Formats: sequence, C-alpha cells, structure tokens
Amino acid sequence: MEFLTVSLLNGVIYGLLLFMVSAGLTLIFGMMGVLNFAHASFYMVGAYLAYTLQKFVGFTSAVLLSTVLVGLLGVIVERFFLRRVHKHGHAHELLLTFGLTFIIAELIKLFYGNFSVEYRVPEFLNFAAFQVFSTDYPFYRLLMGGVSLLVFGLIYLLLTRTRVGIVVRAAIHRPQMAEALGHNVPLVFMAVFGIGAALAGLAGALAGAFYTTNPNMALELGVIVFVVVVVGGLGSMAGAMIASLLIGLISSFAVGVDLSLASLLGLLGAGDWARQMGGLMTLKVSSVAATIPFALMLLILLIRPSGLMGEKG
Amino acid sequence: MSGAILQLRDVHKSFGEAHIIRGAQLELRAGERHAVIGPNGAGKSTLFHLISGQLQPSSGQILLGDEPIQGHSPEQINHLGLSRSFQITNIFPGLSVFENLRIAVMRKHQMQYHFWRSIQRYPEVRAQTEQLLEQVRLQDKQAVCAAELSYSEQRALEIGMTLACDPRVILLDEPMAGMSHEETDYALSLIREVTQGRSLLIVEHDMDVVFSLCDRISVLVYGEVIATGTPEQIRADRRVQEAYLGEEQCA
Amino acid sequence: MKLTKILLAALLLALLVLPAILPAAMVNAAIQMLIAALFACAFNLLCGQGGMLSFGHAAYFGVGSFATLHAMNALNGEGLLPTPLLPLIGAMGGFVCGLCAGWFATKRAGVYFSMITLALAELLHSLAPHLSTLFGGEAGISSMRTAAWGLDFADATQVYYLTLGWVVLSIALLYAFTLTPMGRLTFALRENGHRLQFLGYNVHRLRVLVFALSAMFAGIAGGLQALNLESANYVLFDMRFSAEVVLNTYIGGVNVFLGPVLGAALMTFFGNAASDLTQSWLLYQGLLFVLVMMFMPSGLAGLVLCWTAQIRRRGWLAILPAAFAALLSAGLLSLAVVFAVETLQRVFSQDYQALLIADQAWPAISLFGREWLPGAPLTWSMPLLLGGVGLLVLKLARRQWLRLLDDEPAVACAALNPRVEGEQP
Repeated sequence: MEFLTVSLLNGVIYGLLLFMVSAGLTLIFGMMGVLNFAHASFYMVGAYLAYTLQKFVGFTSAVLLSTVLVGLLGVIVERFFLRRVHKHGHAHELLLTFGLTFIIAELIKLFYGNFSVEYRVPEFLNFAAFQVFSTDYPFYRLLMGGVSLLVFGLIYLLLTRTRVGIVVRAAIHRPQMAEALGHNVPLVFMAVFGIGAALAGLAGALAGAFYTTNPNMALELGVIVFVVVVVGGLGSMAGAMIASLLIGLISSFAVGVDLSLASLLGLLGAGDWARQMGGLMTLKVSSVAATIPFALMLLILLIRPSGLMGEKG
Repeated sequence: MSGAILQLRDVHKSFGEAHIIRGAQLELRAGERHAVIGPNGAGKSTLFHLISGQLQPSSGQILLGDEPIQGHSPEQINHLGLSRSFQITNIFPGLSVFENLRIAVMRKHQMQYHFWRSIQRYPEVRAQTEQLLEQVRLQDKQAVCAAELSYSEQRALEIGMTLACDPRVILLDEPMAGMSHEETDYALSLIREVTQGRSLLIVEHDMDVVFSLCDRISVLVYGEVIATGTPEQIRADRRVQEAYLGEEQCA
Repeated sequence: MKLTKILLAALLLALLVLPAILPAAMVNAAIQMLIAALFACAFNLLCGQGGMLSFGHAAYFGVGSFATLHAMNALNGEGLLPTPLLPLIGAMGGFVCGLCAGWFATKRAGVYFSMITLALAELLHSLAPHLSTLFGGEAGISSMRTAAWGLDFADATQVYYLTLGWVVLSIALLYAFTLTPMGRLTFALRENGHRLQFLGYNVHRLRVLVFALSAMFAGIAGGLQALNLESANYVLFDMRFSAEVVLNTYIGGVNVFLGPVLGAALMTFFGNAASDLTQSWLLYQGLLFVLVMMFMPSGLAGLVLCWTAQIRRRGWLAILPAAFAALLSAGLLSLAVVFAVETLQRVFSQDYQALLIADQAWPAISLFGREWLPGAPLTWSMPLLLGGVGLLVLKLARRQWLRLLDDEPAVACAALNPRVEGEQP
C-alpha cells in the first residue's frame, strides 16, 4: 500500500516535470515542424545556470533568473541558427539542433567538468510535507509538481483566453495565413521557441536540485521527452500531458516491481524451467524499467503514428 | 457492362463529418477519351485518389475491367494497367530528366531488385527511355535537373512518366493547369497522340480542350455525377448549365 | 573523370605502402580510420542516397561486432571460416538485424522514421547489459585472432591489410550498387518515394532492402573492429557512436559518394591526433558540424568539388587569390576559436580551480608553449584579434569567390548533384 501511494505520487510529479519540458517541445514541433533535439539541453542549461547563480542571488532568484536566461538562449537559437537553415528543410533543421545539443553538452563539460555538481535543495525548502504511512514525503517534490501545474494552467489560459493566444494558435496551424493577415509570425515563432525553452530551463532549475545535475542529464531526459512527445502526439499539449503522466507512472511503478517472465510462468508451473533458460526469462521488470518507455514508443509509432492525441497525417 | 474498362459504382468517401464523394457513378469505355469536369471542391482530385489507390472509398465499388480495385494499394493498381498523373507536379526534382523517365520505364522490365548489373547493361531500358523522351519532346533537356525545367516542360515530363509503364487506362489530373495558349496546344496534341488505343480519364477546367479532345464528359458536382454524355449533350443539359457552365456564361 | 581515377589510384597506392612508412601507433590509427570510413559509407547508403536519416545506426555496427566475436570464439578460426572471412558473419548479423529493424522503421517516413531508429537503438542499448550471454554484461565479450592462410595476424600490419582489403572491396561494392537499377531506385526513394508507388513499385519493400543493405555493410565494419580490438561490449550501442557517424557523414558531404568516407577519415584522424593535445576535441567536432550545416550544407566534399569545378573552368592561377584568402581566414578563425576554447578549458579545469586562492591574482596557464595570465588583456585580446582579422579576410575571400562565380552559378550547382559514371549528357 505504501509502495503504491508513494509510487503514485512520485510518478505523477515526475510526469508533471516531464510535461514542463515536453510541452515546449511539442509546441515547437507543431508550429515549426522541427523536432528540437536541443530541447533537453535547455533543461540542462537551466539546472547549471541556477546552480551557478545560486551562490550569488539565493535559490528563488536563481531559479527565476535562469528561466529567463534559458528563454533568451532559445530566442537566440531560433533567430540566429534555425532561421538560417529553414530553407534547407526539416531534416536539416533537425540535424542542426542535433549539432547544437552536442556543442552545449561539451560546453557544459568545459565549464563545469565531467562529473555532477553539488546542486542541492536549499535548507528552507528541505523538509517533509507529510507522512505517507511510515515515510516522510519531501515538500520539494510537491513544490515541483505544483509549479508544473501552475505553469500548465497559465499556458492554457494564455493560449485560450487572450488575444495573443489566438494569434499564436493561428500561427501554429496556418503560419502563412496568419502572416497574410498581418501578424508578425516570425516574432511568434521566436516567442514560442523562447517560452518553450524557458519552460525547459525552469524544469531543469527545479529538478536539478532534487535529482542530480550532471552533463549527461540532457541525453537521459532528452530521449524520454522524445518518447513522451511521440506517444502523446507531436503538436498536442493535451497529448503531452497524458503521455507524460503515463510514462511518469510507468517508470515509477516499474522500478519497484521485481517480477519477471519466470515468475509469470511460475504461476503456470513452468517457473523452474524458465529460470533455467535464463536470459530474457529471468529479466526483472525493475531492471528493464528504463526500456519500457521505448517499447511503448515503438508500439505507438507502429499502431498509431500520430500519437494518442495527435492529428492524423 | 460491355466495353467498360473502368467503372465506379455508387462510390462514397467521407473524411470524418465531411461527405466528399456521395454516390459517384462513372463509366469509362475502352478506347474512349472521357473528361470529368465540375466546380472547384466538387471532389475531382479525390475521385482520382480513390481510383488510383491513394484513398480507400468509404463504400462502393471501383472496377478495372472486371476486377474490383477499391482498397488495393497504388502499386497493385498500377500493375493492373492504370497509371495516373498529378495536379501538382510529382517528379523526382534532384534527378535528371533522363533518369526520371528511366525510373518509370524500369518497372515494366521488373528490375527493381536487380543489384548485380549496372543499368547501362540494359539496352532495352535505354531505348525505351529515349523513345519516351522523343514523344514528350524533351530530348534536348535529357541531362537537365528536373527541378530546373520550365513549368510546362515539367508537366510534359509528368505525362511521360505516366505513360512509361504502357498502361491501358490513363488518368490525367489537370495536365494543362497553368499553361499558356501555345503550351496548351502542344500538350493537347501530345495527349491526343499518346492516348491512341488507350482509355483516358482527364480532369480539366479548360473547356476548349475538353470539348475538342473528349468523346464523352461527366459532370461532378458536390461529389455526385449529375450528367454524362457527349459534349453536345452536356452543353445542352439544363442541370449542368445551372450548376456549372451556366455560371461561366453569365460571367 | 580521368583526374579522379588518377587520384584514387594514388590514394590506393599510398594506403598500400602505409605500414612500411609509418610507426605502429599510426598504423592502428589508420585501421580505425578505415573502419570509420566504411561505417560512414554504409550509413550514407541509407541517409544520403535513400533519404532516410537513421539516428541509431551504431546498433548494426555493434551487432556485427558481437556476431563476429561469437564466431571467432565458436569457430576458433578453423573449420568453416578462416579469420580473414570472419567479417562475413558481421555482414550476416547486420543484414538480419537490419531487415527486422528496417521492416518496422520504414513503415513510417521522415521524422517518425528517425525517431523509430532512435527508439530501437536505445532499446537495444538498455537491454544489452542484461543479456549477458549475448553481450557479455559489463566486461563484454572477447576473443583472439587465430592464424589462417599462412598468416598469424599477431601484429597490426597484417590486421591493417585485412581491414584495407575488406574496406576497399566494400566501398567498391557500394559504389557499384549506385550504378545498378536498384541503386538508381534508391535515389528515387530519396527524391519522391510517394511517386514511386504510383509508378508501380512496392516502396516499403525497397526501403527495407536498402536499410538491410546499409546495416549489412555497417555489420562488416563492426566485424572488422571486432577483429582489430578482439573485444566488444555493450557500450558500442551508445548513442555517441550513432551520433558520430551522422556528424562524420554530414561533415564529409552526403551528396557526393566519397564524401562520408572523407569526413569519417578526417574526423577519426583528427580525433586521434587531437586527443593527446586537447580535451575539447568533441567540442571542435560539434562546432565544425554546426558550421557545415549552416554555411556549407554540401560538406567538405561538396566544397572540394566546387573548387575543382572552378579550377577546371578558370585554371589554377585564377582561383589562387580566393583560395589563399579562404585558407588564411580558415586558419585565423580556427586559431582564434582554439585559443579561446583551450584558455577557457584550462581556466575552468579542476586542477586549475584548485590552485585559486581568494583575493590573489590568478596564476598563469600554459598554452602553445607560452605562459598566459588570465587577468592580462593580452590573453583575451589574442583570440579577439585573430577572430577579427579572420572575419575580415573571410569577407575578402567571399568577394573573390563571388567574382569567380560571376557568369555561371549553374556550374556550382551541377557539381553537387549525384553524378553517375557513364551517363551521357
């Protein structure tokens, strides 16, 4: 029971964190047709910047400042890099963002070294919120979840209730028409890219303190974020939310499940034989928890390539 | 029905709520040139997509000869002898004109999995490609990148590629779109020449072309064929005048 | 055309006599360059020619490696397969794996295809450590080359010639493929797969076969590496190796057949040479890649072809000013970047940071045989100066180049399109 509750809470919060990063990515893809490989790098830069700034301005200001700075980075990337190769097509843009990921990761290693840095949750946030059965549940986890929900709410309101939101949604679906109607679509592109990046940076600034902050975090998270975005449907915010929660929960639960194919076959009386076979049979779900998202992604890509909530074609 | 090489029987196609093709009935007789005309949005291109296998009808039958082809893949339908061209030029832009036609020619010779001999060693392919080049009058441009051709030359290449597999039924989707008067005349004589002995289904907006080229005309309005007949019959048909030609005469 | 043939013959000759001239360490580096070149060429069959960008190609290289190692252990060099023929097992492993993976991946196109290849590779990467019978867990699988055909394959030179033979044969086969009907269809797949359906081709089947062929040659490359290193471990499936082949191929140039070979050879060479001199080699590689994608999308090979086309048109003397300016600016800008990066790298390194004492001047760093003080303005004005001058010379070079291109911009374009030997204009 305890395992279920804790896993549930952890899974939901991890999922919300994933959503903060994938929301920007799916928005950018829906709008520009570019799968931004560098998106998870924004997450990483957010964490490192917050870590650096924390020494000077304190935790809260560091998080806010790093969010803004990563947003600016996103704007620079769109304006000076992506726009230049736009004419060569989507594959080219994808490759460019791929190269940028590489460079950002190497620059981080240059400035901060190859190992993780001491970016920790500050003392004033490091307490238990409540008790789940016999364990303390850290407040900071709830904070991360809360910020994600707040951000989701703000974005939703912005997109659906404001004039700016209408223009952005129009530019996402029909950029040429929106431009013909007189709206500054390149500016919209830049803004959406920047906001998407800022979201990823915020997620990084918050999560980096709780989880580890190291030069590999972009790659580790990046692949999961791709899975989320593909499963949810490239371009769909609702899809990103559903897929994030799904993957968050699966990852959370799977880690605690020590069953394998052998245990399943054991129910049918073939347990010993399976254990003798070894290999895939004795693989525990907990060991391969990391592979489940990919298997899910493959499944979706084959059965319903537009994703759970994506538009067809 | 005797003499009919392509038939559409009560074909429907919906995209979600939008009911685009509503019970289309069409018959293409062997050896005839048959035009499909109608206002924009009537579903003419959709009809072609349904016949050529790009789309599956929601209901109804499409018969090529005696064989039902609805739901078949495009390459299967092509093997049965039907070839189509596209409204938006659909060629291989980065390859030369010669290569474009050669790719189309290769299929008939069943060579797509041949990886052991250089293509230069197949003289019949070269001969056929050169013949096609002459037919569409692009011999001088054979080494030119297809993307660098003028618009009407690309349309000619498009037609050439459609013919390469020696089809018995040809579907041409607005082959003259965007052409000048001279180019239209040239394309018209080309089409007349290459469709000798074959059956042609053509979508066109240019009424002069339609009336001079075609044996029969079908009028498609809101996904339904409201009239079929010879050019004179169609000109005189009241419903057609109201729905389509009438508006043109007033304008 | 004749010039190309002469150059290729000269290259082949140079490669043949290489072990006699160079020390053993460089022969090893040469073996790695050859393997990387073959891998990139195999990758380009799928990517540049077939138009399918795969982000997980290291999987087939790795499968080829492991398959060959298992064969080495099982067959012990005698019996069915003598050592020199072992890469065939790598080929088979790559082919079968490519057939299965390709069947799934090619069901979708474009970005979705790339994502599937990524997911498949990552799936393999995360499963591999757990399948210890196949992939040997943390330690991996190892074996030993056994003697065959009168050779003992104990030293690098013999392995070098074996590798050279296989690589030259494979690249020749890959080139011959582009001349065959199926090879021509591969180009058509890239240009307009949709149209091919309406011309009567089963596009999915074609795509799967091209994928499998590409994976097969990647498997040969993997097999050659297995023979060379006599070991493999699941690290081979890491994203890094898939990323590397993508970078190498595009830096070399996807539209020219030998482009990826050039890119991979150069990058492997510099990677080896630079790894002793700098810690930031990967950063330079990434920067080069981004520069190529932004300013020279046809890659280094495309650049070479552009220049040779101009030489053919105007002669050597005419291009000299532009060439000189271009080389000079490239040199200056590279120097500026390297200076800045190396300075930063030293200042931010752990060892240096440990030396810092609060409120005292930062100690000097040594670079290019000199001592530089981080506080001194000279240290920072150097890269700025070099960079500034480099940019000015670049402007000059551009002007010269545009003057050369004056009446025939089409020449530049034609040089970059895939040419087929024997196709008559």
